[in-house]
Amino acid sequence: MRLPAPSATRQQLLCAATLGLIFLSAPFPWVQAILHTTLVLALAPRPGKPLPAALWAVAAGWVVEGTLRLYPHMGGTAWANLTLTLLAGGLASRWPLEGLRTWLGRLALLSLLHILLLHGAVRLAAGPHPWGWSWLGVLLSLPLWGWATWRLLHGAQPGRR
Amino acid sequence: MPVRASRWRWNRAGWERLALVLLWLGHGTWVLLGTNPGRHWTRAAGLLSRPSQGLATRWEAWRSSRREAGRTLTTLRAENERLAAELGQLKLAEAKEAPRRVDADAAVHLLGLKQQIPLELKAARVIFTTRPATFGGLILDRGQDLGLVPDQGVLAPEGIVGRLWSVGPTQAKVLPVDAPNASVGVMLMRSRATGVLQGLGSGQAQIRYVSNQEVVQVGEAVLTSGLDRVFPRGLLVGYVAAVVKGELELRVTVNLSAPLDRLSLVLVLPTQPPLEVQPPFVAPDEKPQRKKGTP
Repeated sequence: MRLPAPSATRQQLLCAATLGLIFLSAPFPWVQAILHTTLVLALAPRPGKPLPAALWAVAAGWVVEGTLRLYPHMGGTAWANLTLTLLAGGLASRWPLEGLRTWLGRLALLSLLHILLLHGAVRLAAGPHPWGWSWLGVLLSLPLWGWATWRLLHGAQPGRR
Repeated sequence: MPVRASRWRWNRAGWERLALVLLWLGHGTWVLLGTNPGRHWTRAAGLLSRPSQGLATRWEAWRSSRREAGRTLTTLRAENERLAAELGQLKLAEAKEAPRRVDADAAVHLLGLKQQIPLELKAARVIFTTRPATFGGLILDRGQDLGLVPDQGVLAPEGIVGRLWSVGPTQAKVLPVDAPNASVGVMLMRSRATGVLQGLGSGQAQIRYVSNQEVVQVGEAVLTSGLDRVFPRGLLVGYVAAVVKGELELRVTVNLSAPLDRLSLVLVLPTQPPLEVQPPFVAPDEKPQRKKGTP
């Protein structure tokens, strides 16, 4: 069963709040990485509205790199976010959501792609850099933030399971 | 059949797609540029401007070489002119100083001669010569003002010159020893034979009254004998140039040692000098050349 798209206002408010939390959680890299992935892959993509999603993803990338103050040449994270958000939006348009499991599976796949593309783009832009372990935190906590975003976007709608 | 509307019309969705594409391409390009993106522009600009830079470099090098060549040529010309001017000045100064240098050399020689002869010698300058004329002589710049009187002997560092012939208030005339009417008492250094020297002109003289029994060698030194009471004994006169045996006497030709044509300073002996003084000139001890026909 095809689920209806969430309210646009609600989605934009959620994106704005998450972006603010990303900025504020800079001292906690794991939390920032989870929030960052949540905004890019779960909250920002919207079928048929790629431009707002792309702008949120780009903003998230620049905020993350700006707060890290680590790379000599920024922009790799924003480009990876943009690409993955467009891909997620395309997937959502092409194969609409049918339940939480599909949602979690799609998020897992997109998270893996995001991690790889993110580090590749940063390497292209800024050169070799330490990966850290935040990507592992993102993958391990995927059920948590996947379920939370599902509830926030499609919380009271029928057939959400 | 209805025509299907194009999907990429310039509506709002099309503008959004264009913005997305530009956003994605812009970010991707920015990522691919990597660290220090300005270096790509610098490299591209350097690559594109390489031909013009090479051309400009060659043009500037050519201009610089032309300018340097012109500057070098101008500098060399100026230096050449300066050196030429300096050379002219030096030549002029040398020409001005040459007579004084000659006089100085002559004065040094005279001073040495004066120190060797223990007599009161007086120096005078030769200001004119009339030797080419008949009965000519040398004109000195001193006369009675220096206490000169006729028949005083005159000598130079190279040898005797002559005697004072006439003395004026400020000038005196010297009768050189090569004059035909001049005579000096001489003796030969080795044979000790004495005779009278009479002038032949042109720096030569002849010794008279030498017995043909004497052995005279060419190159033998001829000294004053002191018998004429004009020159003391032992002053150099010249060297024997030729010896011809006559019926009664030898005809000995002498090359006078004093350069009579090139004198500038001379010394005047006192009147009636002593017969014997230490001879200042010692002839070199040459190996005697035996003249053919002489024993």
